[in-house]
Amino acid sequence: MELLRAVSLRKFFEVKKVLKGDSGFLKAVDGVDFSLAEDSVLALVGESGCGKSTVARLVLRLTEPTSGSVLFEGRDILGLDRRQLKAFRKSVQIVFQDPFASLNPRRTVYDTISEPLVIHNLVPRPEMKDAAVEILGRVGLGPEVLNRYPHEFSGGQRQRICIARALAVSPRVIVADEPLSALDVSIQAQIINLLQDLKKESRISFLFISHDLRVVQYFSDAVGVMYLGKIVEHAGTDELFEKPFHPYTEVLLASAPRIYPVETKKVHAAPLKGEVPSPLHIPPGCPFHPRCPKRFEPCDRVVPLLSESHGRLVSCHLWNPY
Amino acid sequence: MSLLELRDLNIFFKSASGPVPVVSHLSFPIRESQIFGLAGESGCGKSITALSIMGLLPAGAFLEGEILFKGRDLTQLDGEAKRRLRGNEISMVFQEPMTSLNPVLTVGYQIAEVLTTHKGMTKKDAMDQAVELLRSVKIPSPEARIKDYPHQLSGGMRQRVMIAMAISCNPSLLIADEPTTALDVTIQAQILELIQRLREERRMSILFITHDLGVIAENAARVAIMYAGSLMELADTEELFRNPLHPYTRGLLESIPKEKGTPLKPISGTVPRPEDLPEGCRYAGRCRESDRDCGKTEPDLLEISPNHFVRCSLVRT
Repeated sequence: MELLRAVSLRKFFEVKKVLKGDSGFLKAVDGVDFSLAEDSVLALVGESGCGKSTVARLVLRLTEPTSGSVLFEGRDILGLDRRQLKAFRKSVQIVFQDPFASLNPRRTVYDTISEPLVIHNLVPRPEMKDAAVEILGRVGLGPEVLNRYPHEFSGGQRQRICIARALAVSPRVIVADEPLSALDVSIQAQIINLLQDLKKESRISFLFISHDLRVVQYFSDAVGVMYLGKIVEHAGTDELFEKPFHPYTEVLLASAPRIYPVETKKVHAAPLKGEVPSPLHIPPGCPFHPRCPKRFEPCDRVVPLLSESHGRLVSCHLWNPY
Repeated sequence: MSLLELRDLNIFFKSASGPVPVVSHLSFPIRESQIFGLAGESGCGKSITALSIMGLLPAGAFLEGEILFKGRDLTQLDGEAKRRLRGNEISMVFQEPMTSLNPVLTVGYQIAEVLTTHKGMTKKDAMDQAVELLRSVKIPSPEARIKDYPHQLSGGMRQRVMIAMAISCNPSLLIADEPTTALDVTIQAQILELIQRLREERRMSILFITHDLGVIAENAARVAIMYAGSLMELADTEELFRNPLHPYTRGLLESIPKEKGTPLKPISGTVPRPEDLPEGCRYAGRCRESDRDCGKTEPDLLEISPNHFVRCSLVRT
């Protein structure tokens, strides 16, 4: 069953001219559609500035979209009143990238974990402490941490506290915006295992935003690859990594360094030329064409549409002749 | 021949309760024209090792041991001699190009400054040379870019500027401290290609510091794995990844997601703080294989097979 759906989501930021700077509309998210089913993980991948974090904020209505809509269980969250929005926030939670910045340094772990329980009136006061202990137990932290402050914890432990805070209200969906990138690799593995267990136990769906392709391949069921505010390819994780269709996906997968070059011996693709253009000046035609090694005649004038090809969605003239 | 050799390097931070060791008994050589990877997690001492080679230890830190560069012990040099060496023979590229460039000076000025300082060039010659350097790090239209300020460039371009500055005096050793960590993968691939090309063209040795084992596997010839200030394993790259011997190295590799569905085997616990390092092996508290003896004495770094060194009492020849 579908839990969350984004329909033609757009978010433009107006940029005013400062000194010699540019002005115009920065198209952070430019027509994004996806659907997140119950009990599944959808990953959004892409490089910095591709709009993936803005999508996360739009989905939670932390930022209002310029146009388009977000449906949660079939209802447009933009039409919710205060009371309904509160109920929605109980169902959809977020874990941010930086566990140092997303915990209040002046509040104890108990304050942090119990706050959502109080706001949503989930647990009677006398039972609050037991409830907090139970939630911390699910992320592998003991009752002794209750009265400690964030600065007393390592990065991995802090991320566990952030996850516990999200879990407190028993959400249906967790939006995880780069939850691992601030952590060391041995700690990353602990958190991935934790997320994996939570998914199994509580059937939480994840919108998993990441630039780490290895983690995405391991953890997600489907992947949307974003470039300059658009999804350029959307496919099942295994199919996508087995054979990427879009030239950008292809280069992205080839650019990630492999641990076992001796064993895989794949031919290393030549690095992509140039850099991602500014989202203030998105190139005409296919936004990827200036860097694309496979561009041909229509690419610099006709915008490709995200449409079906061989059981997946891809926006490229090579796969969907216009 | 080795260009740089660390011999029993120990680095300490002064504290109210006495010196705190952050790097202990570190020894390894770097050969000419070699990319030497120094890998480990945050706080393992890799960056402070780089700073000690540059002679840039922060106030409150001091070292023991030898740092031999072309046969000379750098720890014995006075301030002036160190200053001449830095930028000239040994130079460094940092992780964050935005914080290491001066925001109020043009990039051309900043590159030229290195040349006027170290090579005694005139301003005009130095500017011309800066254009050539930007061209050699593949910055498009370098004549226009030298007039740009750092904020006008992208992250990848800024890192190219940093590299141009670092290679301006043709150093024989380049220390690159997480040079691609702040960059996107497609840009990382470009910068790594550039570093490889510079090594070949200029026969530079590169001390490449990173936490990313993938970057090491694809680029370094030899790898040192550090943990809590101590060198745990040292081997040629192919050997290390094919036949990792130290339980910590294996723990790191098993923490990286590979096949879907197979649960990861993370390393439990966290790195001990330098002020309360355990007795015996530093890794024993987190090690899956440790036995009672591991907590008694710290094992030595032993050559287990030719050119493959391991610091673990459970690994024998």
